[in-house]
Amino acid sequence: MKDILAEINEAPTIQTNRLPVITWRWLKVNEFQLDDFTMEKVLPYNKGCFTAVPSGNIDVKAMAENIHYLEAENYFKNKGNIGVSDTFVKMVDTFYNTGAFIHVKDKIQDPVIISYKPDESNPMIMDKNFIVAEENSEVTVIIDYTSIDNTSALHNGLTKIYAKDGATINLIKLQDLNDTSINLDSNIAYIGENAKANYVSIEVGSDKSVVSYISNLEEEASESNLDSIYLVNGSRTLDMNYIMSHIGKKTLSRINAYGALMGKAKKTFKGTLDFKKGSTLSKASEEEYTILLDKTVKSQAIPLLLCQEDDVEGLHAASAGKIDEDQLFYIMSRGFSEKEAKKLIVESYFTPIIDKIPLSSMREEIQNIMNQRLMDV
Amino acid sequence: MSKKLLEIQNLKSSIEHTEILKGINLSINQGEIHVIMGPNGAGKSTLANVLMSHPKHEITEGNILFEGESINGFSADEKAKIGVFLSFQYPEEVAGITVENFLRAAKSAVTGEPVKFLPFKKALREQMKLLKIDETYGSRYLNVGFSGGEKKKNEILQMAVLEPKLAVLDETDSGLDVDAIKVVAEGVNTLANENNAILIITHHKKLLDYIKPNYVHVLLDGKIVKTSDGSLADEIESKGYEWLSNQGGV
Repeated sequence: MKDILAEINEAPTIQTNRLPVITWRWLKVNEFQLDDFTMEKVLPYNKGCFTAVPSGNIDVKAMAENIHYLEAENYFKNKGNIGVSDTFVKMVDTFYNTGAFIHVKDKIQDPVIISYKPDESNPMIMDKNFIVAEENSEVTVIIDYTSIDNTSALHNGLTKIYAKDGATINLIKLQDLNDTSINLDSNIAYIGENAKANYVSIEVGSDKSVVSYISNLEEEASESNLDSIYLVNGSRTLDMNYIMSHIGKKTLSRINAYGALMGKAKKTFKGTLDFKKGSTLSKASEEEYTILLDKTVKSQAIPLLLCQEDDVEGLHAASAGKIDEDQLFYIMSRGFSEKEAKKLIVESYFTPIIDKIPLSSMREEIQNIMNQRLMDV
Repeated sequence: MSKKLLEIQNLKSSIEHTEILKGINLSINQGEIHVIMGPNGAGKSTLANVLMSHPKHEITEGNILFEGESINGFSADEKAKIGVFLSFQYPEEVAGITVENFLRAAKSAVTGEPVKFLPFKKALREQMKLLKIDETYGSRYLNVGFSGGEKKKNEILQMAVLEPKLAVLDETDSGLDVDAIKVVAEGVNTLANENNAILIITHHKKLLDYIKPNYVHVLLDGKIVKTSDGSLADEIESKGYEWLSNQGGV
């Protein structure tokens, strides 16, 4: 631990979320620089994290040293770079202070709901989550990171998902830490033959939020979908690094990211579709759209397409824009003020994704957050 | 005598410094149905957009009076609140809000009063039945995946719900088959009464087989060049617009 802390505390800046293939340095998009970051030690998190655990053929336990699933552990061990930065990943992998182990063996209807809510006595969340789905099983896991007071929290998390042949893992994450908190979230997936990982990410919090998702489509016909929505206001920063790594044949991936920026918000979206040698007949698409609600925001998008294989199909598009004037006019002509109309338009991008959350209380929570934040437009 | 609802005085407008409307004069009373016809590019849709305050169009001269007061500087939502409605030629798609929720919120925004859930639902269903719109459309996202005809019918549904004093229908009949035109016409006829007025903008007269207007105006090159009763539409049908420009109306 000393080594890791020394590494973090001695560096003037820490590089996180590095692009898989770097580009011009002056663009300042190759990595996210975490400046003046120091920490003394990992503080304990003394709260439980399970809000709901479904019944059925599923094991759900708090993360502990004696929990092992060797096949998956060996897989991830050999994967190299698996998150926001080697150091932060190593830190949480070894010195986690909370986390969940979920082992599903059947199709489980109800979601596993996990809540990490930092407060004054528990300002640090180092959650190590491990989700393993046996062949042809299915599970939905919802993880909620929400501040309940104005403590400056540090979240450094690692979530590994391992979907064996024919399995489906749905992972939904909401991050709404307060605007003095730091969020570092690493996610990595193994997807087996005909297996599926569906990840829904809702990013609305933290002063600095750095999120990473690396999805490895390892076997034939594995599928990975990422729906990401974000709302960045005030002087918050959000840096996203998403990588769809196509390894198996006939694999399929999709990234859809929609967001709105306001105030002095900064956002960088990095989306990489990586067709490795052998991933013939694979298809991938990514789309990113940012609505700029103020002139003072800063938005960057780097869609990358890497190809070692000929017979593949990759589509990528990223755009940013002001609100569509005609759409705004249409809504206003029905009696809505400009502010209300803009809110409706932003919601029109978010709602189809929010609808994918199988938990009405969380859907309402997100609606409320958006209602409040978008009233400042 | 019925009350004067809308009076347009020497209205000129431009878009990106190009003048489109070149001095429109038009007066509409309560209880009347007016039709504006004209060839493509005459400025028909511009008139509709200017009346509803599209931000790209700028009024450079003249006045729009509504119930005796100038509404030149009003924004689109302010116009909606005083009872002006525009049925769009190309209705926008808005995902994330259902037709029913959108209309309930719009009704509340226009009237400034909360709208009760159940009575609204019931009233909406009746209006949908009248317009032959399937009930399930109420729970679909606004115009998303609707066909051209469904979007136009949905505009008339919005008009029925919002009960404007003045409804401007911009090419509501274009792109519709005969059956859909009939349904739209029936809807318009049902909604027209002595307290409101309807301004129909069109460039063919099919709709006028089912709606009997009090006045037909012809718009050519940004000006109204002729005003008459319904028979004018028949005359245009047989002679075309050339006849009017040759008459020296411009």
